[in-house]
Amino acid sequence: MKRAQIDMQLAALLGILAVVPIVDSVLPTALQVTPLMPPVLIFALVGLGLSVATGFTGLLHLGVAAFVAIGAYTFAIVTCSIYPFQIPWLCAVLLAGLVGMATGALLALPTMRLRGDYLAIVTLGFGEIVQDVLRNLDAITKGTQGINPLGGPTIVSFQAPLSTATRWYYLVLFILALVAFLMQRLLQSPTGRSWLALRDDELAASCMGVNPARTKLATFAVSAGLCAVAGALLASFLGSSGEPSNYDFQVSIMALSMVIVGGLGSIPGAILGAIIMVGINSIVLAKLADWLSNVSTGSSNVLLSPSNWKYMIFGLALVLMMRFKSEGLMPPRQSGGK
Amino acid sequence: MTVTSNAAPLLALRNVTVQFGGLTAAHDVTLDVTDGQIAAVIGPNGAGKTTVFNCVTGIYAPSSGTIEVRGRDIREPLTWLVLGKSLGIGCIFGLALMLGVNAQILWDASINQLYVYEQQFDWAAAGAAFVSTLRSQDSSLTWGIFIFGSLLAAAGSFTMWQRTRHTPYTAVHRKIARTFQNIRLFRSMSALENVLMGMQSVHRSHVVPALLRTKHFAQQERIRREEARELLDFVGLSDVEHTLASALPYGSQRRLEIARALASKPNLILLDEPAAGMNPSEMAALTALIAKIRDRGTTVLLIEHHMKLVMGISDHITVLEYGEKIAEGPPDAVKQDPKVIAAYLGDTHNDH
Amino acid sequence: MNATEVLTQQLIIGLSNGMIIALIALGYTMVYGLVELINFAHGDLFMLGGFCALTILGGLGLAPLPSASEIGSLSWWASFVLLFTLVPCFCGALNWLIDRLAYRPLRNAPRLVPLVSALGVSFILLNVGLFWGGLPMQAFDMGVSAASPKDFPQLVSNTNLLGESSFIVFSPKDLLVISATLSLLLVLVLVVTRTQFGRAMRAVAQNPVAARLVGIDVDRIISLTFVLGGALAGVASIIYALYNNTVFFQMGYRVGIDAFTAAVLGGIGNLVGSVIGGILIGLIRAMSDQYISTEWTNTIVFMLLIGVLVFRPAGLLGRATKEKV
Repeated sequence: MKRAQIDMQLAALLGILAVVPIVDSVLPTALQVTPLMPPVLIFALVGLGLSVATGFTGLLHLGVAAFVAIGAYTFAIVTCSIYPFQIPWLCAVLLAGLVGMATGALLALPTMRLRGDYLAIVTLGFGEIVQDVLRNLDAITKGTQGINPLGGPTIVSFQAPLSTATRWYYLVLFILALVAFLMQRLLQSPTGRSWLALRDDELAASCMGVNPARTKLATFAVSAGLCAVAGALLASFLGSSGEPSNYDFQVSIMALSMVIVGGLGSIPGAILGAIIMVGINSIVLAKLADWLSNVSTGSSNVLLSPSNWKYMIFGLALVLMMRFKSEGLMPPRQSGGK
Repeated sequence: MTVTSNAAPLLALRNVTVQFGGLTAAHDVTLDVTDGQIAAVIGPNGAGKTTVFNCVTGIYAPSSGTIEVRGRDIREPLTWLVLGKSLGIGCIFGLALMLGVNAQILWDASINQLYVYEQQFDWAAAGAAFVSTLRSQDSSLTWGIFIFGSLLAAAGSFTMWQRTRHTPYTAVHRKIARTFQNIRLFRSMSALENVLMGMQSVHRSHVVPALLRTKHFAQQERIRREEARELLDFVGLSDVEHTLASALPYGSQRRLEIARALASKPNLILLDEPAAGMNPSEMAALTALIAKIRDRGTTVLLIEHHMKLVMGISDHITVLEYGEKIAEGPPDAVKQDPKVIAAYLGDTHNDH
Repeated sequence: MNATEVLTQQLIIGLSNGMIIALIALGYTMVYGLVELINFAHGDLFMLGGFCALTILGGLGLAPLPSASEIGSLSWWASFVLLFTLVPCFCGALNWLIDRLAYRPLRNAPRLVPLVSALGVSFILLNVGLFWGGLPMQAFDMGVSAASPKDFPQLVSNTNLLGESSFIVFSPKDLLVISATLSLLLVLVLVVTRTQFGRAMRAVAQNPVAARLVGIDVDRIISLTFVLGGALAGVASIIYALYNNTVFFQMGYRVGIDAFTAAVLGGIGNLVGSVIGGILIGLIRAMSDQYISTEWTNTIVFMLLIGVLVFRPAGLLGRATKEKV
């Protein structure tokens, strides 16, 4: 059966990821990636969140960065020592997820009955607005300074044989695997089926008794919640909420290109896409820039700075994938198929 | 389904008119469907048959006229609960707007000014500061924002409710299911899953049991699959349950649509040209299937071009031309009607 | 300055900015009307138009702040003629190319596919803009780094037409924006209503299949519409640059969002709606800047958009399209 095969894909992908730190430990320092990997895996979680809205239900969501930001700031406010709340790590991450879900539902409430294209604009606008609001409410969010310092969970601060980066790596990988596993299950339930049906044919789905507005609202909220959890993890990993412009449109587009390169609607695809796109962005380009600055004599040509190419890379990835392989590298399950 | 003779008809259209811009797609159509019948709507191309179907299933809203199901308006009734919900959403939004506008000041007063780094925080004092700061704001402005926000959001949510009083979704919950003239199966799903989708309105399913795979959930899922298989069997597709819907032959897709519609356990099923594109042997099977559906207790309303099929199985026929009803009655009476003959001769000339 | 004068001033500013937004919004709307595609790359096309204009002026040797003697000189006139012919041609041709390479092959694909492709093109153009702004050219002397805004020569004077003593400023720039936009809109209306192309365009928008049946070359009409929309973006970019005296690689995104919102507000696909939406957005922005706070202007515009869509889901002038069943 095809379904089992896809489950194998996911298991294989997670299995490879699980041995990365072990392989890493025998490599020379210049080639080690484990310390750089936690953000990549966190973005894979954003990718899974976006998959729920765009991949499964077919809503073009261009504002995931806003929900990542909401998660990061919620986490920062309720844990940072500059504010009186200081709740435990796990509670804070879950709370960030809940706040994200609530905001997602709030945005969805007035807009879910709109045409699909209009929704793209509303989410795009929302992504901009959240940055503005975070910047303007500087009494709460500390403006461009960001809220810091933030701590990690107790698990990562243990005195254990593994390095902090490795422990972070496995923590995020565990969360990612858990979310992927639960999503896999949800997709095989009536709830998940109604999401896929809505993507296939909204009118037919509503004639079958799927309430389109309510279903879209639910997927939107779940998607926002996952992104917010990812945001909380990111803030905790970086030790700071960062500044509002860290969560700009580019982040949303990166998330979109992740799920598209991996395969819209495919769970292992979203993870693979995240590894490829974020990996290129924050690992390959960074290492390339390091290397170039070592060999070149410091001429400041724009074309020679690898980080100046990232828009081009995301853009080309989207255009070329759409043109030649719009189903992505790991297309989603086509159920049945004997 | 047994119904006493004085009960209201299962479905009744009363003077339904549908206009798109300047075009009148249906004009003053009145139509009754009685329980246990196979009723048919016939008419030349563009006579407004599908428009009538779309009105019943909530895809279009009639410009005037009413649609009743067992004597009750097909639209969701306006209840106090609806008004209450709108008002509640309004109040929440108004409150959020009011607090949002003052967010900085309130936060400053209740948190930033009272919290000393790494000291015990006095929550009661913070609450008191919060309230007193809110009070100290210009009250007419604060209340103005609250009332403005509340009214706007309440009006908005009421407007949105009004737009969804009659939609395909509410129609299914009135026990009306349909098939489509241009097949609209879920292409990426198997035949079985398509039928399972049809059960959305009858089986409520919860997320948490699905995530935890509880025994109860597994059992429910088994029952659903069993039911879906029975329906596939009923329409004669038992051997293709795992085939992708889009990979099925055309005739099978039409029958799968019927199975999917039946899965919602409807009282009335609307079939929009079920025989289109079928060969004679498939059509014979379809005729038998439609009769079987009626015998099962589901009333059938049918749009069809194949006169032989319609005349053979219908109990009652309504003829539309240019959006207006020109005749109705039992097949034999309709066949003799001069207006119908004129309309159909014209149509035949155009077609061939 | 009394309250009325403040209001009048903001109306002038809002109207000028709104007109520019309207010109760009038209590009979104025309394409949407024909192929139901939100051309995300349109804003970035506008941005590249700005850089093209800057390059032409650099080639002509006009300094960022031309002296009074240069205004009215031969090269000043030449630069105007060149700008208003070359930049629209450049943008039109580029838009045609984009359609050819990135959209046309996807015409029959599911809705999401060309939409994502458009987003991709938008990012590619954005990067081209970044490089263009960073290339070592005479014209970019004022720019510090590739990403920073570049000064655009002050070709139109800032002097107040209402006299130095007046508190309300109405400069030749405002006059240029309003007159250029109005005449352009007039031309567009004539093209759409009176020419063969305009009729064909409306036919394709209403029903592509029927249009093809009556012998209209649908692909050609779509291509021409992309050219026309691109040319409008080109003109808009010159006017924007002359009005604001700056060009930067993210301006397509910033202005694009406003234009986009304007098109949706007016009812995407509706030409008149886009113009009204654009002017409305310009006015609201100006009012919010003046009476509430510049920082909250984006938020207010966004909330207004949501508010309008709740009550009129298809925009102010848009008609609800019902899916054909």
